[in-house]
Amino acid sequence: MSPEDAPAPLRRFLHPQPGEGWEEIAGRVADADVATLQSWNLHLAMRPPPIVLTPVDIVFVEPPAP
Amino acid sequence: MFDLIIRQGRICDGSGAPSFIGDVGVRDGRIAAVGPNLGEAGRIVDASGHAVAPGFIDPHTHYDAQLTWDGLAQPSLEHGVTTVIPGNCSLSLAPLRAEHREFLGAVFRQIEEMPKSAFDAGIEWTWESMAEYNETITRDLGVNVAPLAGHSLLRLWVLGYESRDRASTPEEVRALCDLLRECLDGGALGMSTSFSDVDHEFRPVPSRLASMEELNALCAVLGERNRPLQLLPEFWAADLLATRIDIMAELSLRHGISVTFSPLFESASTPGLVEAAVERLELHAARGARVTAQMQTRPLDMTFDMSQVSAVFSAMPTWMGTLLSGHEAIQGAFRDPATRETLARETETDRMPIALDFHLSRTRLSAATGSAHADVGRTLGEIGEERGLHPAEVMMDISLEEDLKARFTASGLGHYDDAKIGVALNHPQIQIGAGDGGAHVQRFATYGDTSYLFSRFVRERKALSLERAVQRLSADIAEIWGIQGRGRLIPGQAADITIFDPETFDRGPEEMAFDLPDAGESFRFIRRSTGMKEVLVGGESVYRAESGYSQARRGAIVEGASR
Repeated sequence: MSPEDAPAPLRRFLHPQPGEGWEEIAGRVADADVATLQSWNLHLAMRPPPIVLTPVDIVFVEPPAP
Repeated sequence: MFDLIIRQGRICDGSGAPSFIGDVGVRDGRIAAVGPNLGEAGRIVDASGHAVAPGFIDPHTHYDAQLTWDGLAQPSLEHGVTTVIPGNCSLSLAPLRAEHREFLGAVFRQIEEMPKSAFDAGIEWTWESMAEYNETITRDLGVNVAPLAGHSLLRLWVLGYESRDRASTPEEVRALCDLLRECLDGGALGMSTSFSDVDHEFRPVPSRLASMEELNALCAVLGERNRPLQLLPEFWAADLLATRIDIMAELSLRHGISVTFSPLFESASTPGLVEAAVERLELHAARGARVTAQMQTRPLDMTFDMSQVSAVFSAMPTWMGTLLSGHEAIQGAFRDPATRETLARETETDRMPIALDFHLSRTRLSAATGSAHADVGRTLGEIGEERGLHPAEVMMDISLEEDLKARFTASGLGHYDDAKIGVALNHPQIQIGAGDGGAHVQRFATYGDTSYLFSRFVRERKALSLERAVQRLSADIAEIWGIQGRGRLIPGQAADITIFDPETFDRGPEEMAFDLPDAGESFRFIRRSTGMKEVLVGGESVYRAESGYSQARRGAIVEGASR
């Protein structure tokens, strides 16, 4: 196996851009509104304010495997 | 003529090869010879019946504060640990500008659970840079130290308090990289970061506000010198952790660095997590990535009281808010019927699991001095059934009676599946670590994971051979972290040596010690060792079973790798 042979991710994800919130991320993800996106990312949806999303967070853009 | 010969010991040289009976000769702080009948020396140690092994390396500690008042990192040394790596999880105590000391102290005390009275009494702030911090601790150092530069501190230095709120600009990224180089020049082994910690105000620590571009730039600096990155990932969910391992692998491959994360924690609340992580680690190892998980040896119990925040409540926002509100406010909340009901209900929810199998009904009252003293040792569930109350209400009532000083112990929070853990502790992509030495001092004893490895997993479970256990604690960790000249019993290496009885080496019971630098105002939990005959650092005896700790101070800031 070579370094280029990256395995497929368990779940597709993205990192928020600095300053990006749920609305902006939902706009980047096809077939996902804010509520759906949050339901796939409870680790972030449950985070108390004021810091909601950070640029190194993992935001899943698909649901967990069944 | 040697300075010292350790005679007729069972030599486990750190390679994992079969042990053999022989002598170890020491000269000028280094191992000079290993073999049969080495002759004469200034001092002879009879090691017959004992294992002779390289000093152990503890890769996950938070001794940053303790090392300023205790250069021996007690009692880790008597468990065979001769090198400690502090500064994990984005938090070191340097580099730190004077104006940020109060803030950083609050963050450090909150996350690493160090009593404020001890922290304030023990630390004399004589440094700002990493080099100055190292100079301070080396004045009285009996253990070797491989400090990490905390990413949160780097950001705090460059961005000030804005590091808590925003990503860095390109110019600030360049300044961060320069600062990291300065830290490496000043003795830092590598860098640590965190994707999980929250500070004393329940906000993400500064490292979590970094962009991936910033993290990549800093890893490129580590790559210039083949230095390691340690990080605290989202360790409580299998898919999150697996994804973060993927990210670590890309950092490792892109920059040619060793990346290690902690903890890899096994618990019933996270079924399949360890297996998922190991599968991912193996996939990336096959690609050439150098990513390793750290796993502790001991099961997790935790003692807490209601005067301050404890990790067992970290998934419960109302509890966190209440326990952060101060002594009188906490008491007020516990007396308020509506708040009591909310708090009780919250202990039954599972809103953001953090891998702890925490059940309040099974939590025991472990210390009380008033009328509740008679209930010490009973579970809150048992007491609640008797009183017709929810276990949380029992805990609040007893805490009110005891001015919030009653202590409770939650046992079996995780990491108790010995069969699974025994296999994991042998895995090449897992290193033995994550012990948290010097942190959480009033929650549990973070000392003795090394001796527990021998008693539990070598002798009782037979999951590892004696030689393999020694290798796992010494040479393997030195290799992963790029620590030079330590970890093996071979000529030329530093004479960091442990001499222990392989049949009795163990950790003692958890006990309270009032040895923090605040004149007994606070305590810490410790464990002494049994079966350890002698520990040497740099060729000098720093601990002997019959006489305790010595005045030898041969500890050093260890040398990291270079390209």
